[in-house]
Amino acid sequence: MHVMARDLIYLRTATVFTYFLRRVILMLPVAFGVSVICFMLVQIAPGDPLTAIMPVDATADEQAAMRAIYGLDKPLPVQYAIWIGNLFQGDMGKSIATGRPVADEVFGAVQNSLLLAFSAAVIAFPIGIFLGFLAGYFRDTLLDRAVTAISIAGVSVPNYWLGIVLVIIFSVNLGWLPSMGAGPGGSQDWAWDWLHMRHLVLPAVTLAVVPIGIVARTVRALAGDLLTQDFVTALYAKGMSRGDVLRHVARNAAATALSVMGLQLGYLLGGSILIETVFNWPGSGFLLSNAIFQRDLPLLQGTILVLALFFVAMNLIVDVAQAAIDPRIKRS
Amino acid sequence: MKHFKKGVATLLVAASLCAQGAWAQGTLRVGMTAADIPLTTGQTDQGGEGMRFMGYTVYDSLIEWDLTSADKPSALIPGLATAWSVDDADKTKWTFTLREGVTYHDGSPFTAADVVWNFDKLLDETSEQYDSRQAAQGKSRIPAVASYTAIDDYTLEIITKTPDATLPYQLAWILISSPAQFEAVGKDWEAFAASPSGTGPWKLETFVPRERAELVPNTAYWDETRIPKLDKMVLIPLPEPNARAAALLSGQVDWIEAPAPDTIPAMTGNGFVISSNAYPHNWTWHLSRTEGSPWNDIRVRQAANLAVDREGMSALLGGLMIPAKGFLPPSSQWFGTPTFDVRYDPEAAKALLAEAGYSLENPLKVKALISPSGSGQMLPLPMNEYLQQNLAQVGIDVEFVVVEWNQMINLWRAGAEDPSVEGAMSINFTYFIQDPFTGLIRHLSCDLIAPNGTNWGHYCDPEMQGLFDQIKNTFDAEEQDAVMRATHEKYVNDALFLMVTHDVAPRALAPNVKGFVQAQNWYQNFSSITME
Amino acid sequence: MALIETHGLEDPISEAGKGYWSGVGSRLIRDPVTMICLGVILLLILSAVFAPYLGLADPYTGSMIKRLAPIGTEGHILGTDEQGRDMLARLIYGGRLTLFIGLMPVVLAFFIGGALGIVAGYLGGWVNTVIMRTVDVFFAFPSVLLAIAISGALGAGILNSLVSLTIVFIPPITRVAEAVTSGVRSLDYIDAARASGANALTVIRVHVIGNVLSPIFVYATSLTSVCMILAAGLSFLGIGVRPPEPEWGLMLNTLRSAIYINPWLSALPGLMIFITSLCLNLLSDGVRSAMNVKD
Repeated sequence: MHVMARDLIYLRTATVFTYFLRRVILMLPVAFGVSVICFMLVQIAPGDPLTAIMPVDATADEQAAMRAIYGLDKPLPVQYAIWIGNLFQGDMGKSIATGRPVADEVFGAVQNSLLLAFSAAVIAFPIGIFLGFLAGYFRDTLLDRAVTAISIAGVSVPNYWLGIVLVIIFSVNLGWLPSMGAGPGGSQDWAWDWLHMRHLVLPAVTLAVVPIGIVARTVRALAGDLLTQDFVTALYAKGMSRGDVLRHVARNAAATALSVMGLQLGYLLGGSILIETVFNWPGSGFLLSNAIFQRDLPLLQGTILVLALFFVAMNLIVDVAQAAIDPRIKRS
Repeated sequence: MKHFKKGVATLLVAASLCAQGAWAQGTLRVGMTAADIPLTTGQTDQGGEGMRFMGYTVYDSLIEWDLTSADKPSALIPGLATAWSVDDADKTKWTFTLREGVTYHDGSPFTAADVVWNFDKLLDETSEQYDSRQAAQGKSRIPAVASYTAIDDYTLEIITKTPDATLPYQLAWILISSPAQFEAVGKDWEAFAASPSGTGPWKLETFVPRERAELVPNTAYWDETRIPKLDKMVLIPLPEPNARAAALLSGQVDWIEAPAPDTIPAMTGNGFVISSNAYPHNWTWHLSRTEGSPWNDIRVRQAANLAVDREGMSALLGGLMIPAKGFLPPSSQWFGTPTFDVRYDPEAAKALLAEAGYSLENPLKVKALISPSGSGQMLPLPMNEYLQQNLAQVGIDVEFVVVEWNQMINLWRAGAEDPSVEGAMSINFTYFIQDPFTGLIRHLSCDLIAPNGTNWGHYCDPEMQGLFDQIKNTFDAEEQDAVMRATHEKYVNDALFLMVTHDVAPRALAPNVKGFVQAQNWYQNFSSITME
Repeated sequence: MALIETHGLEDPISEAGKGYWSGVGSRLIRDPVTMICLGVILLLILSAVFAPYLGLADPYTGSMIKRLAPIGTEGHILGTDEQGRDMLARLIYGGRLTLFIGLMPVVLAFFIGGALGIVAGYLGGWVNTVIMRTVDVFFAFPSVLLAIAISGALGAGILNSLVSLTIVFIPPITRVAEAVTSGVRSLDYIDAARASGANALTVIRVHVIGNVLSPIFVYATSLTSVCMILAAGLSFLGIGVRPPEPEWGLMLNTLRSAIYINPWLSALPGLMIFITSLCLNLLSDGVRSAMNVKD
């Protein structure tokens, strides 16, 4: 009995590991494609990236000199080769607008975005799971309808608008919470105290609204489905208590719920751009919108690349975790 | 509605009380319109705002603007140079006497060799301190400078390419960074940016890119009257107008630049103070004078100027504008006494247009370049649409070519004859018009025709060119002012631009910010400010 | 805000036929929520299409003196915007562009992504590999990020928004189309059709499309609300529709500072986006359950 269990675990681990390796290898061409898209994106852009840094009355010669310094006078494939070569050395180039290394800018900002995304997830997932489970368990009751209404409303609300409304109510009108920034001293001296965390409240709540809706809908469907399945009836027939049945159901639903939530975390990170703009949150979305309006090519490329690769990695982790939790998932 | 405002009022008082408790006395937090902290190494980026908050605060220039008075246009005053003169025989040779006993924030003394070092920083690509970022900002500001030598520790000689009496104005742009500090941080401008050192009244204490910069007083500043009274000034980039307003109203900052007009009632209603003043800025349509442009006809130009209801536009801007009477603001020392009265007179405009062969039935059709945003452009869309309505009422039918701001800058550089302007006969480009060159010469000089210069409209007139030459060759300040006035009179009498309005640089201050005097300038003095 | 999932399509083969569709129809009619939402959407579309005949004020010209008039002002039932233009007219005309750039990308992506997915799923082999791996690359970007990145690169403009949003929604639709088509492909009667010597195009046209279209369609409808919010979000950021065109996201942006003068007024465009997106979601849910697609 003992031996068998250990072997099973060993087998499972081995399978998951091979699966993980396979996924990593499959990920490489995707990562390459992502880098090409990131590079090409900014090449299709009209306008001159140097506009942002030159005084408006700089002469043509001064502009040409600047263009040479940033390597913008070279052919595209050469620019790409240089860019990707430097990337492998951890050098993402320098921001045209600020002159600072892109890597510093992007990773600092991504940290702030992660902080925001995780906070939103911490708010959204438990609420979403709770609501979804409630609705799924009490299917077709008034409670179910209320939860469904809430979750559909959550998915339908333009969160950038909600953010503005919340600022008006809670910052300007009531004066309870700050309207912008990542703490009284900026993001550099972040601390887990109320003085800093109150800056997180409004953006995190705004960002959490959509995933609450999505997670609630997913969990409701899962719970509903599982509770009506034969094996649940069988469990009841076996004389299992209500709580035990629920535990069983929860474990079975976990894999799917996990994958949805993992994806949502990725979306939170990539999708926070509008919210970060509304709240002046110094994250990657805020950086991205600055980069767009300043036509800061290296910064734009770097930010999109890092976010996309993060998303790719997130998907990988979710898939592997799902495979690890739920042995029924066999991928071809 | 009233309820809402009342609620705001009571709660704001509470909020600002809390905010005060959390902060040391005498800290001023400023919400800037820039998206980033301006370049900290000396020559700043981010336009006028960069110079205002990171230029003249941390650094000094040889010659500075007098920022102490709100009542008169500011003039040049001695800065790191105490006196300057041009050689009587050779009008290209200038001698500057430098201020003694000035030290940088790092403690090293300021000498003439440092000025040479700083010029090399911008102009000599072979020097170890050459910085392409600062050069990009500073080089084009001193086109007259040919060479420079330190005669002794406190005497500097500058040779100009041609005689140019506007040199002092050009030098007011150039900020002096500390060579000793550059040496100390390992000859690296990036490292210098993190711990910069100048001679200015403020020292940069800390800065987080894109988030905040903290300035503290330089108690050893050479001009005792300009040693800051505050304990600290914090600069926070808040490019979004509503984020700025919300930050001010919720007590997160004490001062914001350029509040959006619609947010102003909520601010004044809660005791916030709106400070504004005339300054050398204008909002015009720069007209194309290329062949075939309808604007080549002075009657059409004057008619357009008479068609604009500037008072009506004021409502749109919450009264925060000065109706144009000329190219320069009416209070400018160079305004003069033009004979063409820029006013709202649609009947006169119709009459002039009729003479030129246009009428309401047979309107003049013309394309105009505008951008929905852009630095210093005020509220470009509503203002231009308003203008479009005004002009339509006298028989000028305007079709807009709307482009993004970055593209607009490129089109402005390209000039009116470039095919990329798509046949537009004017460009709505606001101007920094603080000195003779930026104010008048650069827009209409024959040798600066785009794309080789900033004369977008390809205007070239011998009489005007003669005036420009005279400005450059008049070395007596008062006589030079007289020529400037004559030049501006010609600008207005010939209606060379569609002159619409001037911005008044509004800023909103918390009620406890005291002692600020808003100079009629792009730059400001923050040393007199206190927090109560 | 990004909701692109490919779940819930385990049974791609719907029992095509008249009886099935009339069943779907009667189930839809008996669903009051869905019918109300359908009504709202139709009303929005009709008023947007026939806006010029509704006797509305000109949505482009206004009077500065009457700017930001509150809701209920005489002559301006919903007030006026920051340039004194009639809000009702701008909201209704705004529906045109908002619905257009909110729905059109999904329609385009439905055809393009659907075609790609069916071809990939039917032909399999290297065609499948090329198409699906390319799609994977685009799918690697979160949708909001991709839309903003492309729009940000191309610059503002209706056409640019259309292009960027279509690109965003092609990959998920292609994936679903490919999945259902591969499922159908292995069915006996398709094998039989292929064995009888019919060429690929004919088989796809006659046998495959009928079977895969409805699940792809149901999936596409679930994307419409996301697309609309995203499209309005682009305009809100300043990289979508250009002023002075009336568009809800852009109106939300330009009315932002009016929130201090007339909060309800500035909330209207956001409310319109919310209501429309809510109805699109409920409608899509209704259609989904009427068609017996598993949730």
